[in-house]
Amino acid sequence: MLMKDLFKKPGNKLESDEQKPKTPSIPDELCVSCPSCSKAVFKAELNESFGVCPSCGHYFKIGARARIDMIADKKSFVEHDAKLTSTNPLAFPEYDEKLEKAKKESKEREAVVTGVCRIGGYPCALFVMEPRFIMGSMGRIVGEKITRLFEYATKKSLPVVGFTVSGGARMQEGILSLLQMAKVSGAVKYHSDAGNLYVAVLTNPTTGGVTASFAMQGDIIIAEPGALIGFAGPRVIEQTILQKLPPNFQRAEYLLQTGFIDGIVERKDQKDYIARILKLHSRGVS
Amino acid sequence: MFSKILIANRGEIAVRIIRACKEMGVATVAVYSEADRNAMHVGLADESYCIGPALLKYSYLNMGAILTVAVASGAQAIHPGYGLLSENPKFAALCEQCGINFIGPSSDTIAKMGDKNQARVTMKNAGVPVIPGSELIKDAAQAKEEAKKIGYPVMLKARSGGGGRGIRIVKSEDEMESAFLTAAAEARSAFGDGEVYIEKYLSPVKHIEVQFICDKHGNVVCLGERECSVQRKNQKIIEESPSPFVTPKIRNALYEATRTAAKTVGYTGVGTIEFLFDKDKNFYFMEMNTRLQVEHPVTEMVTGIDLVKWQIRAAAGIKLDFNEKNTPVRGHAIECRINAEDPLDNFKPSCGKVELLLIPGGPWVRFDTAIYQGYEIPPFYDSMIGKLIVYAKTREEAIRKMRAALCELVVEGVHTNIDLHLNILSDPEFESGAYTTDFLSRKDYL
Repeated sequence: MLMKDLFKKPGNKLESDEQKPKTPSIPDELCVSCPSCSKAVFKAELNESFGVCPSCGHYFKIGARARIDMIADKKSFVEHDAKLTSTNPLAFPEYDEKLEKAKKESKEREAVVTGVCRIGGYPCALFVMEPRFIMGSMGRIVGEKITRLFEYATKKSLPVVGFTVSGGARMQEGILSLLQMAKVSGAVKYHSDAGNLYVAVLTNPTTGGVTASFAMQGDIIIAEPGALIGFAGPRVIEQTILQKLPPNFQRAEYLLQTGFIDGIVERKDQKDYIARILKLHSRGVS
Repeated sequence: MFSKILIANRGEIAVRIIRACKEMGVATVAVYSEADRNAMHVGLADESYCIGPALLKYSYLNMGAILTVAVASGAQAIHPGYGLLSENPKFAALCEQCGINFIGPSSDTIAKMGDKNQARVTMKNAGVPVIPGSELIKDAAQAKEEAKKIGYPVMLKARSGGGGRGIRIVKSEDEMESAFLTAAAEARSAFGDGEVYIEKYLSPVKHIEVQFICDKHGNVVCLGERECSVQRKNQKIIEESPSPFVTPKIRNALYEATRTAAKTVGYTGVGTIEFLFDKDKNFYFMEMNTRLQVEHPVTEMVTGIDLVKWQIRAAAGIKLDFNEKNTPVRGHAIECRINAEDPLDNFKPSCGKVELLLIPGGPWVRFDTAIYQGYEIPPFYDSMIGKLIVYAKTREEAIRKMRAALCELVVEGVHTNIDLHLNILSDPEFESGAYTTDFLSRKDYL
């Protein structure tokens, strides 16, 4: 064992002038703490691993734009209805402030981004929900944008690929938001009747009115590993039916086992997977 | 000058850097793993902090922990040594983001030179001779086509490989398809990047490298070459400077290529360009090492320049006070890497307690190490436990001095390769100076 004070200090003075003291610091935006394993993860590393924790595999929520970059071919995404944004039709208390805050945090005007793009060279219509905008909740504008996207895709005979993340219908818009479930479902039906493909990708969490409508209406439904997918939350159900729920209840793996979804696809493989589905359904067009 | 530096390394190189800092009056911060509590660098530094368990990925490669210690201890710069994080562009970029000086070139230069294919293309465009080769290869058919153009035998090389790893030799077209598929798969699993390219396979070759240093004022100084052709499985064992093979005319051409390469990438700090020489004395760029090299002491001995101190000074923005004219290569230096391994048992790494340690002395004999008597060599890290370096006026005298010094070096308790070095130094082929990289593979004393 080497004792700390074994060596004497030479006492040499600094050989030339000291540099202007630049205090090193770790900028806040440099790393994040993983909510699952609590380890510090560098953001650059997280971006490279598609928002999956390199040490424990936890899926971080990722914003709509980052997801579009991940899925769509480079520079192929053209946004639709970018200017549509919610108002407060019922004069719901504090909703205006909530909307302002959501816009600031997410840098988006609404909880869904819609448009057209190419995936692996195959054209499609794409909608991606934004978790930082009031937890991807569905209000009138979310419903309207997705409806318009399906109508556009029907007209142009395009497949639709949709990424859902949502806490459900937006309560601040009351019955108007619940109405969106029927409206979007109608547009999905017309799109489907015209022989077009709809691929839904459910990410953590997809719940409430979104699950009860367009999230579960895909011809092919895939989910991210471990995603919570359900209508009411597990605690509410347990308290209502007074029964213990099976482990993994409402998780993607359980839903796959019980036949509600068609597959679980890791984030890094999603682009190739979706491109393959689009290719199979492209009717020879690319 | 920096008033405090964190050394993100262990072993002899950490000790070497701490020594330079002590002479310069710079305070030092050591980091160490749980297995290195009793390591020399821990005791020698002014402050030391444990950063994680023994395995490299949890400690010496744990960027978050190292940066946290740097920030908390107020270190202005990080010296990465060699290996570990020294050529990791992500780490260099993180240092830049945290306002810490990374003692080395910019993250951008490291990334550019770390991509072996991009480095080749950059050098080729700058007019530095490169080994005839291809761009990145898409499939086996293209591999065959390119190899035909270049002429067999060829090498399949991983873009992200290095240190002799990720290389496959293909002798004929029949072998190409399976070689391409396995090389790409291997590269993908070893480096996370399956891209490969083809290069002409040259054999026999000499491995000769040029040491250079650049300050932040546009000065580039070449500090002689090192002959590193004594290798086992692509790992250098003995290095010497100057190379017995290099004439003043060749040296001038090497310096010219080195200066061009350094200026092309906007280099700062110390760096090395490795060249391959074929039997007709043609030389080709192999790769640029954007860090201090293990074998830097031979250059220090023949030039009188303390490379570590000047590396730190250059990072602090101090102008070089020497040039090639007033820093000629004088005399001859040889370095033997002393590894704790058993050459009689397939070079199996050897660890355990150093029961007795006697270090040779006398004029111009230097032993860079971090072991001491009673030290327990941990099993987790590189097997190199020291570097024995000698200097003399002529090559012949340097070889005699090295033989004498090796006989005086006693390390008991672990196996070492000291006897192997003695065999090599007495080999007429080594003595002639004409040896090539396949030298050791042909010897029966191995």
